[in-house]
Amino acid sequence: MLQFVADGLVLGATIGLGAIGLTLVYSILRFANFTHGDLISWGAYFVLSLVGLLTAAGGAAAHRFGVLSFGWPLVAAVVLAVALTGALGLLLDGALFRHLRRHGTTITLVIASFGASLALRNMIVFLYGPRPDYYSRDIQIAVPVLPGVRVTPDQVFVLGLTAVLVAALHLLLTRTTLGRAMRGVAENPTLARVVGVDVEAVVRWTWVIGGGLAAVAGAFLGLTVQVRPQMGFDLLLPLFAATILGGIGSVYGAIAGGLIIGLAESLSVPLIGSEYRQAVAFLVLLAILLVRPTGLFGDRA
Amino acid sequence: MRDLVAGYEPGLPILRGASIDVPAGTIVTILGPNGAGKSTLIKAIVGLVPVDSGSATLGGRDIRRVPAHRMVPAHRMVRHGLAYVPQTENVFTRLTVHENLELAGFFLKRRRRRRIDAVYALFPDLARQRRLAAGRLSGGQRQMLATARALIVEPRLLILDEPSAGLSPKLVSTVFAKLTEVRAAGVTILMVEQNVKAALAISDYAYVMVEGRERVGAPAAELAARTDLGDLFLGAMPAGGTA
Repeated sequence: MLQFVADGLVLGATIGLGAIGLTLVYSILRFANFTHGDLISWGAYFVLSLVGLLTAAGGAAAHRFGVLSFGWPLVAAVVLAVALTGALGLLLDGALFRHLRRHGTTITLVIASFGASLALRNMIVFLYGPRPDYYSRDIQIAVPVLPGVRVTPDQVFVLGLTAVLVAALHLLLTRTTLGRAMRGVAENPTLARVVGVDVEAVVRWTWVIGGGLAAVAGAFLGLTVQVRPQMGFDLLLPLFAATILGGIGSVYGAIAGGLIIGLAESLSVPLIGSEYRQAVAFLVLLAILLVRPTGLFGDRA
Repeated sequence: MRDLVAGYEPGLPILRGASIDVPAGTIVTILGPNGAGKSTLIKAIVGLVPVDSGSATLGGRDIRRVPAHRMVPAHRMVRHGLAYVPQTENVFTRLTVHENLELAGFFLKRRRRRRIDAVYALFPDLARQRRLAAGRLSGGQRQMLATARALIVEPRLLILDEPSAGLSPKLVSTVFAKLTEVRAAGVTILMVEQNVKAALAISDYAYVMVEGRERVGAPAAELAARTDLGDLFLGAMPAGGTA
């Protein structure tokens, strides 16, 4: 049983990280961004390509950190993938969403993001093929951490890095000018303009940060599961569930929602059976929304 | 220096060629019936409403370039020395009092802390509540915070849209007394008001706006003494001379 809790936490951390990006874009641009799942996939594939390149450049013997399945090539690849996926977000905004924001309605943006999502997904199939892939073919031995609980060192790394990123984002939002401006724009874009905030610049930063977090979530999935073209899109429903569960626009809500959805999916396997794991997450979502319609951390306003 | 917002002459149906002057160091109030275009006028000045034609200058510098697509965007107006306090939703409720002030002064860099301290000195109540989320302040305190936030950037012209809206008479006098303190500190104020008596009491000069243009402009004391003010609001042509 505890084993499923551990697995659920790892899945939940990945969902939570993806959900933070989704909720940031939602609160600042005010639309449900369906391309977020595909930014996760692109992030994972950027890492895949870069690991290949860097390992080839570094010689045959791939570097590894102690018990982890990866070394410097993967770390460098993730850092670069964060930048590339952030740039992809900027490109999407500049080429598509910026124009629609000026002339279209929210529903135009949502449908456009659906179309862009389809295009991004198929570009991956076109470039990499439909088959799943892995960052490392080595099999990692799970180590017992508690009686009856075994986790791989990679899973521990995923949980730790998630905690670090959430803390960093908290500091960004509360201690920096950009963070305060992002919170200001999320609440009242007109007032933000009046006090001198360049709203378009904040929007661009939001795409960069959202895309960067998506790339890390993609790398986590690649590390703990596998890389495939549908990976991000399949994660989209749990992402939206986590976002809504935590309260749309709330960063802490998104991570809490992610952990709850991850745990619910994982724990449903021994309790109900693996066929229903996605359905269980939605039952939890429904139950919580009935009690708290604005989500766990949502505003009552 | 002569702070001036003038020659504003759009083809917009709401504003039909309104012109006003705001001399430096004064409080100027725009009065008028609902729908006269008072709020539209100040929103046009700060760049929230597109301007079709006309001009606005602040201290001799053109701050509203026409045609509309060449306008100075709203977020750059603050750097032109122009601060605006909207009538409603004029504070960030999810940010603390202190964060509201920090956000307003973000481009001041090193000067910001000094400016925030100076504004706290003018609004000691806010200094005591700096850690409180602005959404938990009362209506009067929010108006104070909105005004304080606008003052962070040391504006040459402070523009307020109905600062007394929704406040009790006692709070109105508190807010207006604070505005005279602000004027004494050297800030020029332009405001739109419905609360005619209280506003004229602290103003130096006032305009009555009807149907998108200024109908009467006179020193506030003179306007307060006039008996045909109600008729003016209803659209009658002024009996006396206009300024």
